[in-house]
Amino acid sequence: MPSAKPPAHQRANGATRLEFALGPRGTALAGLYQQSPLRVLFPTPEPGEPPTAALVNCAGGLAGGDALATEAVLGAGCIATLSTPAAEKVYRSLGPETRVTTQLRLGAGATLEWLPQETILFDQARLRRRMDAHLGEGARLLAAEMLVFGRSARGETMQGGLVRDQWRLHGPAGLLWADGLALGDDLEARLLAPLGFAGAEAMATLLLAAPGAEAHLPALREVLDGLPGAGPQDAPLGAGQYCARLGAATIPRPGLLLARFLGDALAVRDAIAAGIITLRHAALGQPARLPRLWTT
Amino acid sequence: MTTRMTTGIRTITTMSTDSAALYRLLTWLSPAYPVGAFSYSHGLETAVEEGLVRGRDGLVAYVTTVLNHGAGRIDGALLVAAHRAAQAGKPRVLDQVAQLATAWRGTAETALETMQQGTSFTSITNTAWPDARFAAFAARHGGRLAHPVAFGAVAGFQRVPLLASVTAWLAAFAANLVSAGVRIVPLGQTDGQLATAALQPIVDAAAQAALAADLDDLGTASPMLDLLSMRHETQYTRLFRS
Repeated sequence: MPSAKPPAHQRANGATRLEFALGPRGTALAGLYQQSPLRVLFPTPEPGEPPTAALVNCAGGLAGGDALATEAVLGAGCIATLSTPAAEKVYRSLGPETRVTTQLRLGAGATLEWLPQETILFDQARLRRRMDAHLGEGARLLAAEMLVFGRSARGETMQGGLVRDQWRLHGPAGLLWADGLALGDDLEARLLAPLGFAGAEAMATLLLAAPGAEAHLPALREVLDGLPGAGPQDAPLGAGQYCARLGAATIPRPGLLLARFLGDALAVRDAIAAGIITLRHAALGQPARLPRLWTT
Repeated sequence: MTTRMTTGIRTITTMSTDSAALYRLLTWLSPAYPVGAFSYSHGLETAVEEGLVRGRDGLVAYVTTVLNHGAGRIDGALLVAAHRAAQAGKPRVLDQVAQLATAWRGTAETALETMQQGTSFTSITNTAWPDARFAAFAARHGGRLAHPVAFGAVAGFQRVPLLASVTAWLAAFAANLVSAGVRIVPLGQTDGQLATAALQPIVDAAAQAALAADLDDLGTASPMLDLLSMRHETQYTRLFRS
């Protein structure tokens, strides 16, 4: 009997392109392309909220070999919020990488909130992600990203796998900010190292790229200082004590406010949520609350 | 190092001797070269303050993390890219490396650290070691260059061999952090030199990693270093600028 080859796994290749343009009644959807399993929903925004798009991965998660590509284009003067209705999951991979690419293009004076919920990396997940944001003159971008290393709710940690996460922010005068995270062969050791991830379950990045973003550093620091477990401590670092170092903020370049968070998954989520609320209200004039998708 | 430099120099023509290359490296990376390296601790001051670094072993661990998983990883790769672009006479590529290096800064103080030193390095090098190609490159960026890129570019233009250049720059970066550690931890001079000696294989490996790096796949794996640098900005007592 001929030995049948095992069937190749079906790979998901989701993509979406969203385009907003300024119309007589404000920001309106001007173009939408979506390719399964990625779908975009447009929940009716609450009063005071900008047009909101919910990016939904109908497959429920990403396996090795899957790819997801998102492109959002905002015309001059548009304002929009992009989020996700749930955490993204990246499953254990037997080898192939999961690829996620995001391109954000903001016209002059446009405002975008890129606020996806956390990405949960299963043990042995292999994620290669890249974010490129292009900001026109006077454009404002509030972006949050959170990675959870292992299904922390069930006590799983990441013992192996791969995480490559590249960020490039392009301003009107050229490259504004570049960053990269590289976890590979010694992933578990890096996650546990006191000067690496210090045993943290999760890491998050919150940034505001906008003219005058510097002005909001004191308010953001006040939020960070008020977080439980934050602030200086006397005891040397040991198991679980990374929580004392939950978050901090800085201005790496003029026009860019950046905060990083490291700690327990729930604490990091609460911390970045507090940062989002502060910045969207103070810098973007949005209601001082989380987008509805985060709370339902 | 001498052997490698000999090999490198034999393949090119404009650098007259090995010793001319060695002389440049020793000069450009000497603590006497006026770039102000002594005023930066790269977050070490906060790590000591918070009890994360204690004693010589802790200092070696800190510098090792910086070299393998922090700024050393990024800056070594950027230096190599700048050197190759300069030596190959590719100004557009060199400009892109310069922009990437300026943008690739995680915190305000690490940005100050590299940009102030790089800009000082560019200024004094243009004066003391004039080179029309380096001057033109610097002028295209308003004289503001990240330290590894300014150094890598002039080394490339002046045909100082690549491996020697990146090894020497990373060694100077490591030695400067050890020097900061000697003052902050504090440690005796002998412990400082023991730390520097212990870091030699680490620097060697970091230089090899820099040669093999791909700028599109580059990254750090030490968010704690970023957090320490950020918290240094609000640290109550500070001797250092980073």
